[in-house]
Amino acid sequence: MVRYRLLDGVKKVFLFLFSIFLLSAAVFFISRLAPGDPLVSYYGERVERMGIQERVWAEEKLGLKDSVWVQYIRWLGNAIRGEFGISYKYKMDVIEVIKGRIGNTLLLGGVGFCLVFLLALLLGIFCAWHENRMPDRIVCTLGTITSCIPEFWLSLLFIFIFSTNLKWLPGSGAYAVGKADDWGSRMEHLILPLTVLVVSHIWYYAYMVRNRILEETGTDYVLLAKAKGLNKRQIMFHHCLRNAIPSYLSMAAASVPHVLGGTYIVETVFSYPGIGTLSYESARYKDYNLLMLLSILSGAFVILCNMAVQKGAERDGR
Amino acid sequence: MEDRFEIVGIRKMPDVKLVKKEKWYQGKPVFFAILLGMILAVCLACELVMTKDPFYLDLQHCNVPPDGEFLFGTDTLGRDIFSMIWYGGRVSLFIGIVSAAVSTGIAIFVGAVSACAPAWADALLMRFTEIILSIPSLLLVLFLQAVFGENTVFSVSAAIGMTGWAAMAKVIRAEVIKLRKCEYVAASKCMGGSFLHILWEHFLPGFMPSIMFMAVMEIRSAILAESTLSFMGLGLPVEMVSWGSMLSLAEKAILTNDWWILFFPGIFLTVTLLCITRIGEYIRRKF
Repeated sequence: MVRYRLLDGVKKVFLFLFSIFLLSAAVFFISRLAPGDPLVSYYGERVERMGIQERVWAEEKLGLKDSVWVQYIRWLGNAIRGEFGISYKYKMDVIEVIKGRIGNTLLLGGVGFCLVFLLALLLGIFCAWHENRMPDRIVCTLGTITSCIPEFWLSLLFIFIFSTNLKWLPGSGAYAVGKADDWGSRMEHLILPLTVLVVSHIWYYAYMVRNRILEETGTDYVLLAKAKGLNKRQIMFHHCLRNAIPSYLSMAAASVPHVLGGTYIVETVFSYPGIGTLSYESARYKDYNLLMLLSILSGAFVILCNMAVQKGAERDGR
Repeated sequence: MEDRFEIVGIRKMPDVKLVKKEKWYQGKPVFFAILLGMILAVCLACELVMTKDPFYLDLQHCNVPPDGEFLFGTDTLGRDIFSMIWYGGRVSLFIGIVSAAVSTGIAIFVGAVSACAPAWADALLMRFTEIILSIPSLLLVLFLQAVFGENTVFSVSAAIGMTGWAAMAKVIRAEVIKLRKCEYVAASKCMGGSFLHILWEHFLPGFMPSIMFMAVMEIRSAILAESTLSFMGLGLPVEMVSWGSMLSLAEKAILTNDWWILFFPGIFLTVTLLCITRIGEYIRRKF
């Protein structure tokens, strides 16, 4: 048994590394096929005034002269030693660039994820409790509408209403200038992006919780519990919810990429200095090294979550 | 015939049927279907409704609020938003339908081949599908667009269509594995039916109900993807009018406080997505 488990673990690790390798190769080749000039992101406006000789020298300096294969093998060799090169735009080690930003994304994404799942659970229970009566119907209709509003448009609306016109909350950035350590300022900047994340994702999950609980309330053991004289609250929380929670948790893990994608969009609209804005910039302005590390990080995160879901499904003996 | 005896002690009740007769429209999203039909019809016949040329840059009338001449106002480039809505809607809906068709086609092909292929090929195809599924689709679309080069309506719909098939392919594979063992399939094989013949005649009617819902939802997510991409400046450029590219001017509009540039394309987008969702939900319940 132990040997089997060990073998399985090794297989998993191998599969993980192989997926990352495939991902890195795909990103590397495709980003280099794309039109666009990486020199612009390094030298900015100066590129237009460069002579041919200067261009050649610059390309050689950044290692863009060789064929794509040679470049990839060189990149792979460096990556294994933990060196991912410098960012063309920020002229720093890419790891340093990402280190400065990742905290912001983890804060937004992490808090957003927890809020979405906690509130979705509560809302789902609320709807199931009032099944097909007025409160349930109102929430269902509202939920369908909110889930159809495009995330980026909702962000724009919020910026327009609460930031430009009412001037209640700031509409961009992660903290006021020079107040990086001020938690109050950070919180203030988080409110709008968080609200967008929650509003646009919550209903999808709340609806699933609602239906999952309603599935449970139709079963025989609930009838037995009713016959035994338990009241609605006891049945709902001690019996139905207990059976619904495991599938909800595995769904939560499976939805990480979904919420992650949402965070990226929200970050871009709110110009929130995080991984999302960084990926967008690096893809748009051909900041190759930065793009590589960012896609590998997000890819690895997503693949790990999927593996966790599979593992959970195997463990769940039912 | 008169009864000899009368039973006493019971209240006479009029004979009422307990089952209420369902009206034909009950439980059906009629309102949303009509609304979507109207939007679709006006977009298709937009030449009849448009009051201005949606491409004309009327630089003397930039950022004009809605009035009698410009029904929904004009944008920062001086184009008439009312005309752009209908013309852009045609583009957005077209991209949605084409991408959904592309991804459904790929999904049917990959799913059916994977289900009928030998085990190693099946495993390979499924691993590939999982990798596609695990990469954030926005990133994938970005890369595909890079390969296609210039952004046109067709390249954008192809790029979106080629990223959205993975989940559907898995469902189709599961369905075909169930159908594959049926006797009518074996009979068809014995009579010399080719793979494509069996796929078309026997598998397709079998798994169609279970993917109808997904195909409709694919239209919805394709429209959403197009608008998000164009808004970020990665999809259609500003000169090509679609609901998404109209919204790419919204960030400027926020600074100048022109609500109409932001509001109208977004509300049309939301209403269309809502209609498609409601119809999709109905299809899921029905089948």
